[in-house]
Amino acid sequence: MSVNDATTAVSEELAKRKDMIVCVGVDKWYGDFQALKGVSATIKEGEVAVVCGPSGSGKSTWIRCINRLEVHQNGTIIVDGVELTNDLRNIEKIRSEVGMVFQQFNLFPHLTVLDNVTLAPIWVRKKPRVEAEALAKALLERVGIPEQADKFPGQLSGGQQQRVAIARSLAMEPRVMLFDEPTSALDPEMIKEVLDVMRELAESGMTMIVVTHEMGFAREVADRIIFMEGGEIVEVGTPEHFFVSPTEDRTKLFLSQIL
Amino acid sequence: MADTARSSLTQSRPPFYRDVTVVKWVVQIFVLAVVIGSMFFLASEAGDNLRASNVPTDYDFLSVNPGIDLSEGIDRDPDTGGRALWVGMVNTLRMALAGIALATFVGVIIGLCRLSNNWLLNKIGSAYVELIRNVPLLVQILLYGSVFANLPRVTQSVGPISGWLHLSNKGLSVPRFHIADGFYQWAIVVMVGLVLANYVRKKRVGIQDLTGDDTRPIRSALLVLLGVSAVGWFVHPVFGFLNTPLRQISEGISLIPQAAVQVALAVVALALAVRWVIKFLDARRSPAGLAKLTDDDYFRIIFALAGALIMVFVVLILWPGLSSWLLNAVSDFFTVLSEKFGNGRSGRPLDVALPDVIQVGKFPNYGPSGLNLSIGFAAVFFGVVFYTAAFIAEIVRGGVLAVPRGQSEAANALGLRRWTVLRRVILPQAARNMLPPLGNQYLNLAKNTSLAIAVGYSDIVQVGQTVYNQTGKTLPVVSIWMLFYLSCSLTISVVVNFFNVRTKIVER
Repeated sequence: MSVNDATTAVSEELAKRKDMIVCVGVDKWYGDFQALKGVSATIKEGEVAVVCGPSGSGKSTWIRCINRLEVHQNGTIIVDGVELTNDLRNIEKIRSEVGMVFQQFNLFPHLTVLDNVTLAPIWVRKKPRVEAEALAKALLERVGIPEQADKFPGQLSGGQQQRVAIARSLAMEPRVMLFDEPTSALDPEMIKEVLDVMRELAESGMTMIVVTHEMGFAREVADRIIFMEGGEIVEVGTPEHFFVSPTEDRTKLFLSQIL
Repeated sequence: MADTARSSLTQSRPPFYRDVTVVKWVVQIFVLAVVIGSMFFLASEAGDNLRASNVPTDYDFLSVNPGIDLSEGIDRDPDTGGRALWVGMVNTLRMALAGIALATFVGVIIGLCRLSNNWLLNKIGSAYVELIRNVPLLVQILLYGSVFANLPRVTQSVGPISGWLHLSNKGLSVPRFHIADGFYQWAIVVMVGLVLANYVRKKRVGIQDLTGDDTRPIRSALLVLLGVSAVGWFVHPVFGFLNTPLRQISEGISLIPQAAVQVALAVVALALAVRWVIKFLDARRSPAGLAKLTDDDYFRIIFALAGALIMVFVVLILWPGLSSWLLNAVSDFFTVLSEKFGNGRSGRPLDVALPDVIQVGKFPNYGPSGLNLSIGFAAVFFGVVFYTAAFIAEIVRGGVLAVPRGQSEAANALGLRRWTVLRRVILPQAARNMLPPLGNQYLNLAKNTSLAIAVGYSDIVQVGQTVYNQTGKTLPVVSIWMLFYLSCSLTISVVVNFFNVRTKIVER
């Protein structure tokens, strides 16, 4: 299975870094339906991996398995040296190291923007409130909406909400960020403001797995593109390889439909 | 040509029967006249017919000895009809308040059981809900009543812990706490303790925010309150000196001339109305100037001013007695309060009385010194509690399920622990979903206590029925029932609405 030798497609410089996420033969069933069929991939520290593919191909399921929002039935998932098992301590450790941004934002509507961002630092990292608020303000500054701190999520636009969601994840100072179609629920003019934040994040050296249909973003920011279909990883490669000379027929078909 | 067309458009007014403003006002005044007219008509017709058929509509029985004994309550042998009804009201309120508290507790537990992934808990919850809510409440009350009636008969030395706890077919009797002589002095100490405890809590929260240490603010505050109350138990007589100033206040108030109160009330009524109108106009004012007032706005302003003028008229001319009554009431209040701090009232704040069994005629029964919960009370109480709890369980389940799944996913993804997710993310949102239907269930519970008549518990309906059987004053008693239940229900609604507004989520 040459397609799953993911490291071969990585640049030499990246290949030398340590492994951040290792998935080996991950299987996932919903009843009789197999959503993931032996997914194996290795994500390096500081790498930006973009996952694309037709809907229903298992992209979201895979990254939701990485922080245990879905439970995989077979295979191994290791995040930063910690294996994801039924051990609650491991699950908590991994979840506090892995941030996630959702398609539907999932902000807490009953809390102000500031409280949304400080919730996890205060209750998981046990930070003093003063310190957590200073951190939250700095993060809101970083995503470009410091003036919205005292508003409620319902008072913000979609793009602003998604940027708050990114700040909320960053407040845990995660080592990995997972993005599950972060721009799919946004109006076109708001997509850019969210992608800009993600681009800045990628340049700062964050390890990121991004499920997205934004091919422009993938071409520009990704270190590697992982193409999935039918619960399998079909092709892995650098953006040049993926967009210019894909080897698999299914990849070519997909690209011909969306480009 | 064009000019004339435009001017005819702007200047010509429609005939009055097509003018929206005119038509609206005419209709409003017409409807108001019809409503008031028909009410007058119905009232006078009813009055005539009642007089003609000799149905009594007076409330004299309220101050006449009804000659009835009540099975339980704050006064077993009331000396007026009003007192008897009051005892019934207290019994109903007691039942409703205790019932609401326990039904909420049981309901939340059962609701959480139904949400649980644990197969056994889940099925127990479902069985409870399906069984209880599909059997009529009256049947359940009769069932509990007949079960409790089979407890052992009461004797001089009965019960699991004779002298402290009695359980028999007369119900449950437990020690009762009394407010004793020193209570009011002690209450002042406790109030001081509350203020101190709140100060300590805020201080501790401040430290926690600054350093991140868990300073346990609630626990420290409770400890402070307990400490102050305990010390107060011994030193409270120092507040006995309040006797004199309170009496002086009372005497001072009784010296105020009635006319001054009348004028003051009139001025307050007018000032409130004027202030309301000014605020109302301010709210309609924008940087561009005063917005055009609609007919509705004018109506509200007129209504407010007319209300104030009516108030002034009532206070100054129609009912001068109101002012002197108010004056006397306030003065009496301070007199009574000063007596509470008077000489010799420096004993223990609270006293405890043990239950006793006395011989009533041929049969032994519980005496008045313990806190007695009768079989009737227990039957109605458990009936309404278990019945309402089944509905509350469904409300809890629905409220939690209505919180989108993304909320718990996002919270989990942040690494929050299960309890924190529940406490900080799910429950605050679920509570908002649950409050309005919960208020309905509380109203139902309060009204369902009237089924007490089935097992002879002396609630307001049972007492009222006894009173009108004795006196024949059916209509007045029914009107009192209606007023009582109406005010209970409105109170519950106001309280629930208050929390409803407070938990509202801000959007836009």
